[in-house]
Amino acid sequence: MIKPYLAIAKKSFQNNLAYRADYYAGLINTLILIFVNIAIWKAIYGEDGSYDGVQLKIVLTYIVLGFLMQSFFIMDDYFIQNKITNGLISSDLLKPISFRMLVFSYNLGAAGFKILMNLIPAIFISLLFFEFLPPFSMSMFVFFILSLCLGYLVLYCLNFIVWVTAFWFYQTFSLVTIKDALIAVLSGALIPLWFMPTWLYNFIKMTPFDSIYYIPITIYLGQTPSNEILTVLLKQVLWIALLTVIGHFIWKAATKKLVVQGG
Amino acid sequence: MDKIRPYTKIELLKILFMFFKMNLKSMLEYKFDRFFIALAIFVREMVSIVIMFLILTRFVTIGGWTIHEMFFLYSFLFLSYSIFVFFFTGIRDFDDMVYQGSLDRYLIRPLGLIFQVVSARIDFTATIGHGAVGIILFLYTYKTVGIVWDFKSITYYASALIGGAIIQAALFMISSCFSFWTIRTVNLRNLIFFNCRRFAGYPISFYPGFVQKLLIFIVPFAFVSYFPAQYFLRKPDLSMFWSGYLYLTPLIGVAMFALVYMFWRMGLKRYSSAGN
Repeated sequence: MIKPYLAIAKKSFQNNLAYRADYYAGLINTLILIFVNIAIWKAIYGEDGSYDGVQLKIVLTYIVLGFLMQSFFIMDDYFIQNKITNGLISSDLLKPISFRMLVFSYNLGAAGFKILMNLIPAIFISLLFFEFLPPFSMSMFVFFILSLCLGYLVLYCLNFIVWVTAFWFYQTFSLVTIKDALIAVLSGALIPLWFMPTWLYNFIKMTPFDSIYYIPITIYLGQTPSNEILTVLLKQVLWIALLTVIGHFIWKAATKKLVVQGG
Repeated sequence: MDKIRPYTKIELLKILFMFFKMNLKSMLEYKFDRFFIALAIFVREMVSIVIMFLILTRFVTIGGWTIHEMFFLYSFLFLSYSIFVFFFTGIRDFDDMVYQGSLDRYLIRPLGLIFQVVSARIDFTATIGHGAVGIILFLYTYKTVGIVWDFKSITYYASALIGGAIIQAALFMISSCFSFWTIRTVNLRNLIFFNCRRFAGYPISFYPGFVQKLLIFIVPFAFVSYFPAQYFLRKPDLSMFWSGYLYLTPLIGVAMFALVYMFWRMGLKRYSSAGN
């Protein structure tokens, strides 16, 4: 049952190998983003980090982790749209496999590539050149990895809902770009959420956005008390479930709507 | 056979106007779509502004710079980029023109190539998207950062914006030169351009020395945002740099563009089409 999906993931992994320039670019982008943001946070805290020496290190670790995660959380936002505009969607839907699983395996393969070719080199370079605290404890590191995977799934389910709108709009650039902007601001990918105004922080807590980056990173930093770990992990799982259900209904509506262009 | 009479200035202006009208019409054909693309670009560019706003509401200043001063500096980046895309979309997309062979169409027309490249395409959505961010930032800050808007400062401001736009045009044109030798440098160009632009959104004094040197001497984004803003703001970190830099923006723009243009002419001479 799982075999065709593994093949798809492998193919997507190999496809990425062909675009060597892209992965150098991805790696350099990640490193420069980390570099710029470290410079800015150091400027915020002043020359010697005197605001509170410990806190600067926590913030820097937060920022580095956030960009490292982003380096492989990037997904192909136009995979479904391209399938629709070039008509391949109809043959894919006829195949005896689930199209939604096909999209998921494709993204998983690409993520595997990015972990191997972008994330791992970026971690090594970050360890060498950037200030970077180790995980709070071994058990927190295990929870972090678990929460990281859940965060990826939350992002994937959210993305999927946006991607499927291609069945109605055909061109989803605007929607995808606005979605990315919302995630960038609200997920805590670029700024620790604890620096946000209280009303905004409380609002974000009610959305799926903090499940993507903020929850995993705060677990890594040991800022989530151990008796709350299960609660935040459960929150991530609930968001995955809810978004999957929404995605399911939109998907059903979309396939009914499908108009294939061309003969 | 009659010799082709060169176009007069008036005729060239008419052609320019017609190209402008064509571009506008093709945009208005899909106004709904284009509106949302411009909106999306606007929202995307606002991300860094919102993040900066959130940081500064919390910390009040960064390295002695207040939110108004930071936004004033940032506005140069957006306004000059907006001017750049309005006038030089063709230079931005030049690699594609060569790659797809549409350059050949330009070459057989009885018009100067650079004239056509510059005038034939206008990316209105990018102009509006970036321009809107720039205008918002400018309106938010122009009264509060202590600038007396007299003739002298307005002249400096305008020349800095235009100079900044030309610097960016020259940077893009370097990569289009390579396309005459059918070397594709779009990815490399975007990597260098947009990452350096990222640095230039904050005062360059925040960065280590080698980044400052990079932004002054190699990819001179410091002259697009930092030095023009410092001409007005005179924050103390200016003492790290030679004060003459404050006045160099238009000069660097023109010098770079002239140099790159020469290189571009050379490339054009040895260009042979990629087509069949």
